[in-house]
Amino acid sequence: MNAFQLVALPVVVGLAGLSALALVKGWTGRKEGPAWIGVWVAAGIAIARPGLTMDAAQAVGIDRGADLVLYCAVIGMLVGFFMVYTRLRRLRRDVTLLTRHLAIRDAAGGNAAAAPDKPSRV
Amino acid sequence: MGTGGKTPSRDTDGSVFVVTAAYNEAGAIAEVLRALRSEYPNTVVVDDGSTDATAELAARNGAFLLRHVVNCGQGAALQTGISFALKRGAECIVTFDADGQHRVEDIATLVAPICRGECEVTLGSRFLGSAVGLPWPRRVALKFAVWLTRIMSGVRLTDAHNGLRAFSRRAAERIDIRMDRMAHASEIIDQIRESGLAFREVPVQIRYTTYSLRKGQTLRGGLHILVQYLLGRVVR
Repeated sequence: MNAFQLVALPVVVGLAGLSALALVKGWTGRKEGPAWIGVWVAAGIAIARPGLTMDAAQAVGIDRGADLVLYCAVIGMLVGFFMVYTRLRRLRRDVTLLTRHLAIRDAAGGNAAAAPDKPSRV
Repeated sequence: MGTGGKTPSRDTDGSVFVVTAAYNEAGAIAEVLRALRSEYPNTVVVDDGSTDATAELAARNGAFLLRHVVNCGQGAALQTGISFALKRGAECIVTFDADGQHRVEDIATLVAPICRGECEVTLGSRFLGSAVGLPWPRRVALKFAVWLTRIMSGVRLTDAHNGLRAFSRRAAERIDIRMDRMAHASEIIDQIRESGLAFREVPVQIRYTTYSLRKGQTLRGGLHILVQYLLGRVVR
Protein backbone atom coordinates (compact mmCIF):
# COMPACT_ATOMS: atom_id res chain seq x y z
CA MET A 1 0.00 0.00 0.00
CA ASN A 2 1.50 3.37 -0.98
CA ALA A 3 1.41 6.64 0.97
CA PHE A 4 -1.55 8.04 -0.98
CA GLN A 5 -3.60 4.94 -0.30
CA LEU A 6 -2.69 5.13 3.39
CA VAL A 7 -4.02 8.69 3.59
CA ALA A 8 -6.96 8.55 1.17
CA LEU A 9 -8.52 5.23 2.12
CA PRO A 10 -9.29 6.13 5.75
CA VAL A 11 -10.77 9.44 4.54
CA VAL A 12 -13.02 7.71 2.02
CA VAL A 13 -14.04 5.02 4.53
CA GLY A 14 -14.84 7.77 7.05
CA LEU A 15 -16.97 9.63 4.52
CA ALA A 16 -18.81 6.43 3.60
CA GLY A 17 -19.45 5.85 7.30
CA LEU A 18 -20.75 9.39 7.75
CA SER A 19 -23.03 8.99 4.73
CA ALA A 20 -24.37 5.71 6.17
CA LEU A 21 -24.93 7.37 9.53
CA ALA A 22 -26.72 10.28 7.86
CA LEU A 23 -28.93 7.82 6.00
CA VAL A 24 -29.78 5.90 9.16
CA LYS A 25 -30.49 9.09 11.12
CA GLY A 26 -32.62 10.45 8.29
CA TRP A 27 -30.40 13.50 7.67
CA THR A 28 -30.27 12.69 3.95
CA GLY A 29 -32.96 11.51 1.60
CA ARG A 30 -33.55 7.88 0.64
CA LYS A 31 -32.10 8.48 -2.80
CA GLU A 32 -29.23 10.78 -1.83
CA GLY A 33 -27.84 8.64 1.00
CA PRO A 34 -27.25 5.45 -1.04
CA ALA A 35 -25.94 7.56 -3.95
CA TRP A 36 -23.29 9.15 -1.74
CA ILE A 37 -22.35 5.79 -0.19
CA GLY A 38 -21.99 4.45 -3.75
CA VAL A 39 -19.68 7.34 -4.68
CA TRP A 40 -17.42 6.74 -1.66
CA VAL A 41 -17.34 2.96 -2.17
CA ALA A 42 -16.41 3.46 -5.84
CA ALA A 43 -13.71 5.94 -4.83
CA GLY A 44 -12.40 3.50 -2.22
CA ILE A 45 -12.22 0.66 -4.75
CA ALA A 46 -10.46 2.89 -7.29
CA ILE A 47 -7.89 3.92 -4.67
CA ALA A 48 -7.34 0.45 -3.20
CA ARG A 49 -7.28 -1.45 -6.52
CA PRO A 50 -6.00 0.88 -9.28
CA GLY A 51 -5.72 -2.11 -11.59
CA LEU A 52 -9.51 -2.41 -11.65
CA THR A 53 -9.92 1.12 -13.04
CA MET A 54 -7.33 0.32 -15.72
CA ASP A 55 -9.26 -2.82 -16.73
CA ALA A 56 -12.52 -0.87 -16.77
CA ALA A 57 -10.89 1.91 -18.84
CA GLN A 58 -9.55 -0.50 -21.42
CA ALA A 59 -12.93 -2.22 -21.59
CA VAL A 60 -14.51 1.06 -22.74
CA GLY A 61 -11.65 2.01 -25.06
CA ILE A 62 -9.73 4.42 -22.81
CA ASP A 63 -6.03 3.75 -22.29
CA ARG A 64 -5.49 4.83 -18.71
CA GLY A 65 -7.54 4.18 -15.58
CA ALA A 66 -6.78 7.69 -14.34
CA ASP A 67 -8.42 9.13 -17.48
CA LEU A 68 -11.56 7.11 -16.86
CA VAL A 69 -11.73 8.36 -13.29
CA LEU A 70 -11.20 11.95 -14.49
CA TYR A 71 -13.92 11.69 -17.16
CA CYS A 72 -16.35 10.17 -14.68
CA ALA A 73 -15.56 12.89 -12.14
CA VAL A 74 -16.10 15.68 -14.68
CA ILE A 75 -19.37 14.18 -15.92
CA GLY A 76 -20.48 13.61 -12.33
CA MET A 77 -19.71 17.22 -11.43
CA LEU A 78 -21.59 18.56 -14.45
CA VAL A 79 -24.63 16.47 -13.60
CA GLY A 80 -24.34 17.59 -9.98
CA PHE A 81 -24.05 21.23 -11.05
CA PHE A 82 -27.16 20.95 -13.20
CA MET A 83 -29.11 19.28 -10.39
CA VAL A 84 -28.07 21.97 -7.90
CA TYR A 85 -28.96 24.66 -10.45
CA THR A 86 -32.46 23.26 -11.05
CA ARG A 87 -32.97 22.88 -7.32
CA LEU A 88 -31.90 26.47 -6.74
CA ARG A 89 -34.34 27.62 -9.41
CA ARG A 90 -37.15 25.69 -7.75
CA LEU A 91 -36.20 27.15 -4.39
CA ARG A 92 -36.13 30.64 -5.83
CA ARG A 93 -39.52 30.04 -7.43
CA ASP A 94 -40.90 28.92 -4.06
CA VAL A 95 -39.50 32.04 -2.39
CA THR A 96 -41.16 34.20 -5.03
CA LEU A 97 -44.51 32.44 -4.61
CA LEU A 98 -44.29 32.83 -0.85
CA THR A 99 -43.33 36.49 -1.13
CA ARG A 100 -46.17 37.10 -3.56
CA HIS A 101 -48.65 35.29 -1.32
CA LEU A 102 -47.63 37.39 1.69
CA ALA A 103 -47.81 40.63 -0.28
CA ILE A 104 -51.30 39.92 -1.61
CA ARG A 105 -52.55 38.52 1.70
CA ASP A 106 -51.40 41.60 3.56
CA ALA A 107 -52.85 43.85 0.92
CA ALA A 108 -56.22 42.13 0.98
CA GLY A 109 -56.36 41.79 4.75
CA GLY A 110 -54.66 45.05 5.66
CA ASN A 111 -53.23 43.37 8.74
CA ALA A 112 -49.76 44.84 8.92
CA ALA A 113 -48.89 46.93 11.93
CA ALA A 114 -46.79 49.86 10.80
CA ALA A 115 -48.08 52.33 8.26
CA PRO A 116 -45.56 51.62 5.47
CA ASP A 117 -46.07 47.88 5.88
CA LYS A 118 -49.80 48.25 5.75
CA PRO A 119 -51.08 47.91 2.20
CA SER A 120 -53.11 50.99 2.02
CA ARG A 121 -55.12 53.46 0.10
CA VAL A 122 -54.70 56.88 1.55
CA MET B 1 -65.30 47.95 -18.82
CA GLY B 2 -68.03 50.48 -18.83
CA THR B 3 -66.54 52.56 -21.56
CA GLY B 4 -69.22 51.79 -24.06
CA GLY B 5 -66.70 51.19 -26.77
CA LYS B 6 -65.41 54.74 -26.56
CA THR B 7 -61.81 55.70 -26.07
CA PRO B 8 -61.39 56.55 -22.39
CA SER B 9 -59.09 59.44 -21.56
CA ARG B 10 -59.37 58.52 -17.90
CA ASP B 11 -60.66 55.64 -15.80
CA THR B 12 -64.19 56.71 -14.96
CA ASP B 13 -65.54 53.45 -13.52
CA GLY B 14 -62.48 52.07 -11.73
CA SER B 15 -62.09 49.06 -14.00
CA VAL B 16 -58.60 50.01 -15.21
CA PHE B 17 -55.78 49.11 -12.83
CA VAL B 18 -52.27 50.42 -13.37
CA VAL B 19 -49.55 48.17 -11.95
CA THR B 20 -46.13 49.60 -11.18
CA ALA B 21 -43.20 47.55 -9.95
CA ALA B 22 -40.84 49.69 -7.90
CA TYR B 23 -37.42 48.95 -6.50
CA ASN B 24 -35.61 51.83 -4.83
CA GLU B 25 -37.55 54.42 -6.84
CA ALA B 26 -37.83 57.09 -4.13
CA GLY B 27 -36.41 59.62 -6.58
CA ALA B 28 -39.33 59.34 -9.00
CA ILE B 29 -42.24 57.40 -7.54
CA ALA B 30 -44.07 60.33 -5.92
CA GLU B 31 -44.24 62.33 -9.13
CA VAL B 32 -45.21 59.27 -11.18
CA LEU B 33 -48.04 58.43 -8.78
CA ARG B 34 -49.35 61.98 -8.64
CA ALA B 35 -49.67 61.99 -12.41
CA LEU B 36 -51.13 58.49 -12.55
CA ARG B 37 -53.68 58.80 -9.79
CA SER B 38 -55.20 61.97 -11.16
CA GLU B 39 -56.39 59.89 -14.12
CA TYR B 40 -56.35 56.33 -12.80
CA PRO B 41 -57.27 56.02 -9.13
CA ASN B 42 -56.66 52.28 -9.11
CA THR B 43 -52.89 52.37 -9.15
CA VAL B 44 -51.05 49.43 -7.60
CA VAL B 45 -47.44 49.80 -6.50
CA VAL B 46 -45.53 46.62 -5.77
CA ASP B 47 -42.55 47.61 -3.67
CA ASP B 48 -40.02 44.93 -4.52
CA GLY B 49 -38.01 44.93 -1.29
CA SER B 50 -36.81 48.52 -1.58
CA THR B 51 -34.37 49.81 1.00
CA ASP B 52 -35.24 53.47 0.45
CA ALA B 53 -38.46 55.42 1.02
CA THR B 54 -40.31 54.00 -2.02
CA ALA B 55 -43.01 52.30 0.06
CA GLU B 56 -43.67 55.31 2.28
CA LEU B 57 -43.95 57.59 -0.73
CA ALA B 58 -46.28 55.17 -2.54
CA ALA B 59 -48.54 54.91 0.50
CA ARG B 60 -48.52 58.68 0.96
CA ASN B 61 -49.53 59.21 -2.64
CA GLY B 62 -52.59 57.01 -2.39
CA ALA B 63 -51.62 53.91 -4.31
CA PHE B 64 -52.53 50.40 -3.34
CA LEU B 65 -49.26 49.28 -1.79
CA LEU B 66 -48.06 45.70 -1.87
CA ARG B 67 -44.70 44.85 -0.37
CA HIS B 68 -42.34 42.08 -1.29
CA VAL B 69 -40.38 41.30 1.85
CA VAL B 70 -37.37 40.40 -0.31
CA ASN B 71 -36.32 41.63 -3.73
CA CYS B 72 -37.70 39.17 -6.29
CA GLY B 73 -37.31 41.11 -9.53
CA GLN B 74 -39.53 43.16 -11.81
CA GLY B 75 -41.24 40.15 -13.39
CA ALA B 76 -42.23 38.76 -10.01
CA ALA B 77 -43.44 42.16 -8.83
CA LEU B 78 -45.57 42.70 -11.93
CA GLN B 79 -47.19 39.29 -11.53
CA THR B 80 -47.97 40.14 -7.89
CA GLY B 81 -49.60 43.38 -8.97
CA ILE B 82 -51.54 41.72 -11.78
CA SER B 83 -52.83 38.98 -9.44
CA PHE B 84 -53.89 41.64 -6.95
CA ALA B 85 -55.64 43.69 -9.62
CA LEU B 86 -57.53 40.63 -10.83
CA LYS B 87 -58.66 39.92 -7.28
CA ARG B 88 -59.91 43.49 -7.10
CA GLY B 89 -62.03 42.99 -10.20
CA ALA B 90 -59.89 44.78 -12.78
CA GLU B 91 -61.20 44.56 -16.34
CA CYS B 92 -58.07 46.04 -17.86
CA ILE B 93 -54.55 46.03 -16.40
CA VAL B 94 -51.76 48.34 -17.50
CA THR B 95 -48.11 47.88 -16.56
CA PHE B 96 -46.24 51.14 -16.11
CA ASP B 97 -42.62 51.82 -15.16
CA ALA B 98 -41.88 53.58 -11.89
CA ASP B 99 -38.92 55.61 -13.12
CA GLY B 100 -40.94 58.30 -14.86
CA GLN B 101 -40.11 57.46 -18.45
CA HIS B 102 -43.70 56.62 -19.43
CA ARG B 103 -46.48 59.13 -20.12
CA VAL B 104 -49.87 58.82 -18.45
CA GLU B 105 -51.53 60.06 -21.67
CA ASP B 106 -50.38 56.92 -23.47
CA ILE B 107 -52.45 54.67 -21.19
CA ALA B 108 -55.67 55.78 -22.86
CA THR B 109 -54.21 54.84 -26.26
CA LEU B 110 -53.24 51.42 -24.93
CA VAL B 111 -56.55 50.71 -23.26
CA ALA B 112 -58.79 51.89 -26.09
CA PRO B 113 -58.42 48.88 -28.46
CA ILE B 114 -59.04 46.51 -25.56
CA CYS B 115 -62.15 48.44 -24.50
CA ARG B 116 -63.43 48.25 -28.06
CA GLY B 117 -62.84 44.48 -28.04
CA GLU B 118 -60.39 44.67 -30.94
CA CYS B 119 -57.64 42.79 -29.10
CA GLU B 120 -56.73 41.33 -25.73
CA VAL B 121 -53.25 42.80 -25.31
CA THR B 122 -51.66 46.05 -26.41
CA LEU B 123 -47.90 46.53 -26.36
CA GLY B 124 -46.37 50.00 -26.31
CA SER B 125 -43.81 50.68 -29.01
CA ARG B 126 -41.34 53.54 -28.76
CA PHE B 127 -40.27 52.87 -32.33
CA LEU B 128 -43.80 53.43 -33.65
CA GLY B 129 -44.09 56.45 -31.37
CA SER B 130 -41.02 58.26 -30.15
CA ALA B 131 -38.09 57.82 -27.80
CA VAL B 132 -36.84 61.12 -26.44
CA GLY B 133 -33.20 61.06 -25.40
CA LEU B 134 -32.62 57.43 -26.29
CA PRO B 135 -28.84 56.83 -26.40
CA TRP B 136 -27.63 55.00 -29.49
CA PRO B 137 -26.08 51.99 -27.64
CA ARG B 138 -29.45 51.36 -26.04
CA ARG B 139 -31.20 51.77 -29.40
CA VAL B 140 -28.89 49.09 -30.83
CA ALA B 141 -29.55 46.80 -27.85
CA LEU B 142 -33.32 47.27 -28.19
CA LYS B 143 -33.21 46.55 -31.92
CA PHE B 144 -31.20 43.41 -31.17
CA ALA B 145 -33.89 42.37 -28.68
CA VAL B 146 -36.55 42.89 -31.36
CA TRP B 147 -34.59 40.71 -33.77
CA LEU B 148 -34.03 38.04 -31.12
CA THR B 149 -37.73 38.01 -30.22
CA ARG B 150 -38.53 37.47 -33.88
CA ILE B 151 -36.14 34.51 -33.96
CA MET B 152 -37.03 32.95 -30.61
CA SER B 153 -40.76 33.65 -30.37
CA GLY B 154 -41.68 34.04 -34.00
CA VAL B 155 -43.50 37.28 -33.18
CA ARG B 156 -42.88 40.33 -35.33
CA LEU B 157 -42.74 43.40 -33.15
CA THR B 158 -41.11 46.79 -33.43
CA ASP B 159 -40.35 47.03 -29.69
CA ALA B 160 -39.91 43.91 -27.58
CA HIS B 161 -38.90 45.33 -24.21
CA ASN B 162 -41.31 48.13 -23.50
CA GLY B 163 -42.72 48.12 -19.97
CA LEU B 164 -45.85 49.99 -21.06
CA ARG B 165 -48.48 47.42 -22.01
CA ALA B 166 -52.12 46.62 -21.30
CA PHE B 167 -54.03 43.38 -20.82
CA SER B 168 -57.70 42.60 -20.83
CA ARG B 169 -58.89 40.64 -17.81
CA ARG B 170 -59.03 37.48 -19.92
CA ALA B 171 -55.43 37.98 -21.08
CA ALA B 172 -54.15 38.78 -17.60
CA GLU B 173 -55.71 35.58 -16.31
CA ARG B 174 -53.82 33.60 -18.93
CA ILE B 175 -50.44 35.26 -18.47
CA ASP B 176 -48.31 33.72 -15.73
CA ILE B 177 -44.95 35.47 -15.43
CA ARG B 178 -42.44 32.91 -14.17
CA MET B 179 -39.24 34.70 -15.06
CA ASP B 180 -38.78 36.85 -12.00
CA ARG B 181 -36.31 39.35 -13.31
CA MET B 182 -36.08 41.39 -16.49
CA ALA B 183 -36.45 38.45 -18.88
CA HIS B 184 -40.20 38.57 -18.20
CA ALA B 185 -40.68 40.97 -21.13
CA SER B 186 -39.74 38.23 -23.60
CA GLU B 187 -41.66 35.64 -21.62
CA ILE B 188 -44.85 37.71 -21.85
CA ILE B 189 -44.51 37.81 -25.62
CA ASP B 190 -44.01 34.02 -25.68
CA GLN B 191 -47.12 33.52 -23.59
CA ILE B 192 -49.19 35.87 -25.72
CA ARG B 193 -48.27 33.78 -28.75
CA GLU B 194 -48.79 30.44 -26.99
CA SER B 195 -52.18 31.52 -25.62
CA GLY B 196 -53.30 32.78 -29.01
CA LEU B 197 -54.20 36.16 -27.53
CA ALA B 198 -54.91 38.87 -30.08
CA PHE B 199 -52.43 41.69 -29.62
CA ARG B 200 -51.53 44.99 -31.20
CA GLU B 201 -48.65 47.40 -30.95
CA VAL B 202 -49.51 50.96 -30.04
CA PRO B 203 -47.27 54.01 -30.52
CA VAL B 204 -46.11 55.48 -27.21
CA GLN B 205 -43.51 57.98 -26.16
CA ILE B 206 -40.65 57.10 -23.85
CA ARG B 207 -38.78 59.97 -22.25
CA TYR B 208 -35.29 59.08 -21.13
CA THR B 209 -34.03 61.15 -18.25
CA THR B 210 -30.75 61.08 -16.39
CA TYR B 211 -32.58 59.28 -13.61
CA SER B 212 -34.19 56.62 -15.82
CA LEU B 213 -30.94 56.05 -17.71
CA ARG B 214 -29.11 55.55 -14.44
CA LYS B 215 -31.74 53.02 -13.34
CA GLY B 216 -31.88 51.30 -16.71
CA GLN B 217 -30.04 48.31 -18.10
CA THR B 218 -26.35 48.24 -18.91
CA LEU B 219 -24.96 46.10 -21.73
CA ARG B 220 -23.86 43.56 -19.12
CA GLY B 221 -27.36 43.59 -17.67
CA GLY B 222 -28.75 42.99 -21.14
CA LEU B 223 -26.53 39.95 -21.60
CA HIS B 224 -27.63 38.67 -18.21
CA ILE B 225 -31.28 39.02 -19.27
CA LEU B 226 -30.53 37.07 -22.44
CA VAL B 227 -28.91 34.23 -20.46
CA GLN B 228 -31.80 34.21 -17.98
CA TYR B 229 -34.31 34.05 -20.81
CA LEU B 230 -32.53 31.22 -22.62
CA LEU B 231 -32.04 29.22 -19.41
CA GLY B 232 -35.64 29.88 -18.44
CA ARG B 233 -36.79 28.33 -21.70
CA VAL B 234 -34.78 25.18 -20.96
CA VAL B 235 -35.33 24.82 -17.20
CA ARG B 236 -38.92 25.64 -16.27
